[in-house]
Amino acid sequence: MTDAPILEAIALDKVFRVRRKGAPHDIHALKNVETQLHPGETLGLVGESGSGKTTLARILIGIEEPTRGEVRFEGNAVRSAEGWRELRRQVQYVFQDPFTALCPTMRIGAALAEPLAIHGICPKPERKDRVAKMLGLVGLSADMAGRLPYQLSGGQRQRVNLARALMLEPRVLICDEIVSGLDVSVQAQVLALLVDLQGKLDLSLIFISHDLRVVRYLCDRVQVMLLGDTVEHGPTAEVFDDPQHEYTRKLLDAIPDRDHAARISKSALQYG
Amino acid sequence: MTAPLLAIEDLVVSFPSNHAPLHAVDRVSFALKPGESLVIAGESGSGKSLLCRSILGVEPETAKVAGRLDWKGKSLLNLSVAQWRPLRGAEIAMIFQDPTAALNPLLTVGRQIMDVVRAHRKCSRNEARSRAIEVLGTAGLPEPEHRLTSYPSELSGGMRQRVAIALALSAGPELLIADEATTNLDVSIQAQIVTLLHDLRSKLGVALIFVTHDLDLAAEVGGELLVMYAGQPVEMGPVDTVLADPCHPYTRGLLRSAPTARSSRRTPLRPIPGQAPKLGAVGDGAPFRDRCPVLISGLCDRSRPGWTEAGPSHRVACHRFEQDGRDGLT
Ligand SMILES: Nc1ncnc2c1ncn2[C@@H]1O[C@H](COP(=O)(O)OP(=O)(O)OP(=O)(O)O)[C@@H](O)[C@H]1O
Ligand SMILES: Nc1ncnc2c1ncn2[C@@H]1O[C@H](COP(=O)(O)OP(=O)(O)O)[C@@H](O)[C@H]1O
Ligand code: SF4
Ligand SMILES: [Mg+2]
Ligand SMILES: [Mg+2]
Repeated sequence: MTDAPILEAIALDKVFRVRRKGAPHDIHALKNVETQLHPGETLGLVGESGSGKTTLARILIGIEEPTRGEVRFEGNAVRSAEGWRELRRQVQYVFQDPFTALCPTMRIGAALAEPLAIHGICPKPERKDRVAKMLGLVGLSADMAGRLPYQLSGGQRQRVNLARALMLEPRVLICDEIVSGLDVSVQAQVLALLVDLQGKLDLSLIFISHDLRVVRYLCDRVQVMLLGDTVEHGPTAEVFDDPQHEYTRKLLDAIPDRDHAARISKSALQYG
Repeated sequence: MTAPLLAIEDLVVSFPSNHAPLHAVDRVSFALKPGESLVIAGESGSGKSLLCRSILGVEPETAKVAGRLDWKGKSLLNLSVAQWRPLRGAEIAMIFQDPTAALNPLLTVGRQIMDVVRAHRKCSRNEARSRAIEVLGTAGLPEPEHRLTSYPSELSGGMRQRVAIALALSAGPELLIADEATTNLDVSIQAQIVTLLHDLRSKLGVALIFVTHDLDLAAEVGGELLVMYAGQPVEMGPVDTVLADPCHPYTRGLLRSAPTARSSRRTPLRPIPGQAPKLGAVGDGAPFRDRCPVLISGLCDRSRPGWTEAGPSHRVACHRFEQDGRDGLT
C-alpha cells in the first residue's frame, strides 16, 4: 500500500477518571495506540470487550478527546473546531446498537434528511430526492421514508443507519458491531451491501466486530487490541494464518468452527 | 435404556386472534435423557424462545400451550404454582440472552445465589455461602469468594452472564436451558462457557437445551440439532451429520449465509433472499415456500411436508427431498 493514509491516530492515550468507593481511580482505556487507514481499504478492529475499540473510534471522529496524541485526516492534524467539523462530514460513525441509534418518533425520511440540514449542503427541495436515491442504494423502497423505526425489521433498521451515515457522501465509514445482533441471513445481506457500497462509493472502512469470521471475510488488514494496547496488526490473511502474539492465537482458537468441532467429536467417539 | 427426562410431542404454542389461532411453535417433538444435548437453531421469530419458555411454564399470559410436555413421565401442563416450586429454577433452570434481566441490581451476587440455594434446600447460611462460591467457580468467574459482595453493576457483561449461569446452576438442575446465552459475548468467553456446558453434561449428567442462530457454535456444543423455521421443525439429527450433509433448503441457505472460520476473503456470501413470514402467515403450505429455490409449485403451496428419513436418526421435512432426495437440492 503506497497511498498515504486518509485517517490516522498518532500515539493516542486515553485515561478515564472515575470514582471508586469515593476515591479517584484511573482507567487507562488506550495506551499509545497508532492506527492508519488507507484509501479504499477495510481495517478490522478486534479485541475483547473493554479493549478500547469504541473509545478509539470515538476519538477518531472527535466525540471523545484523547488524553495525549492526535488524529490526522489526509495527513493534517485535526485541531480546530472547524477542522473537526469538516472531519465529521468526511468520516461517519455507525453505531453499535441498531435499536437505539434511530430516534423512535422521527420518520425514516426525516432522519435521513437531517444530516443534510445540519451541514446545510443540499437545498431543501432536493433533499427528498437525495433520500429516495439513498434508500434505493441500500436496497430499500422509497416508501420506507414514511415509516417509523419500530415498523422496520433489524436488518432494515441497519440499512437505514448505513443510509443515514452515507447521506453526506463521506470518505470514511466506521462501523461498530453493526452486524452482531443480526440473524445470519440478514447479516449476510448487510455485509454484501457494505462490499457493494464500498465499490460504488470509494469508501474506506473501519470495521469493529467481535465476530472474527466476519472480520476475516471483510477486512484487508486487522488490528488486534488488548486492554488498550495494540498487540498485533497486519494483512488479515497473515494475522489469521500465522498469528505472532499469544493473545491473537487465543482469540483465533476460540472462533466457533464447524469443521474443527466435527473433528473433535469424532476423535472423542474413537477414544472415549 | 434410560427413560427420557423431558419428552415433548406435537407441542403447539399459539396466540388467539380474530380468525384462527396463530401458531408460533407448530408441532415440535423431541426427547432428552440425562447428559444429552439438543441445539435449537433458526432465525429470530422462529419460535425458539417460546418453546423454551413453555417448557418452564413461563410463556406469555396470552399464549396457549398444547400437546405433550412430560418431565420424568408427568405432564408439565397446567401445574399449580405449588407444583412448579420444586421444579422451576431447581430441577429445570434457564439462562436468558440478557443477564441483566435475570439479576436483581439491588442485591449482591452472593445474596442472590444464596437465596436460590436456600429456597430449594434446607441449609445453613454458611453452607449456602460455600455453595455460592462453588457455583460461581464452576461458572468460570475468577476469584469467586471476592465477588460475593459485588453488585451486578460492578461487573462486565461477560462476568454478569457467568453470574446468571451460576444462578441457574445453584439449585443443581437436571435440565439447563440456555436461550442465546452467549450471543453477545466475546468469542473467548463464549468458548469458555461452551466448555463449561460440556463438563456439566459429562460430569454431572445435566441435560441441555442450547438455543442459538450460529450453526458453527451449534457444532461446538454438539448433540442433536433441531432446525426451526416459522415455528415448525424442518430438519433434525446429530449436529455433525446435519452440518456435513444438510438436506433442507433452509438449513443449506443458513450455512451459505455466514462466513465460516475458514472462508476466504470475500467469497460471495449467498444470503437467503426475502424475509421470514409473519406469525400466522404460513397457512397450510410448506413454511419456507416464499424463499425456496427448489419449490414444487402446486404441492409446496398446498401441503405441509411430513418427515422423510435422510439417514439414521436424520430427518427432513421437505417435499423436494421426499421426491428427489439429495439430487433435488441446490
Ligand atoms: N465514559 C467512560 N467512563 C469511564 N470508563 C470508560 C468510559 N468509556 C469507556 N470506558 C472504559 O474504557 C475501556 C474501553 O472501553 P470501550 O468501550 O472502548 O471498549 P470496546 O473495546 O469497544 O468494548 P466492547 O467490545 O464491549 O464494545 C473499558 O474499560 C471501559 O469500561
Ligand atoms: N407475547 C407474545 N404475543 C404475541 N406474539 C408473540 C409473543 N411472544 C412471541 N410472539 C411471536 O411468536 C413468534 C416466535 O417468537 P420467539 O419464540 O420469541 O422467537 P425466537 O426466540 O425464535 O426469536 C414471533 O413471531 C413472535 O413475534
Ligand atoms: S421444496 Fe417445498 S417443502 Fe421443501 S423447503 Fe422448498 S418449499 Fe419447503
Ligand atoms: Mg464497543
Ligand atoms: Mg429468542
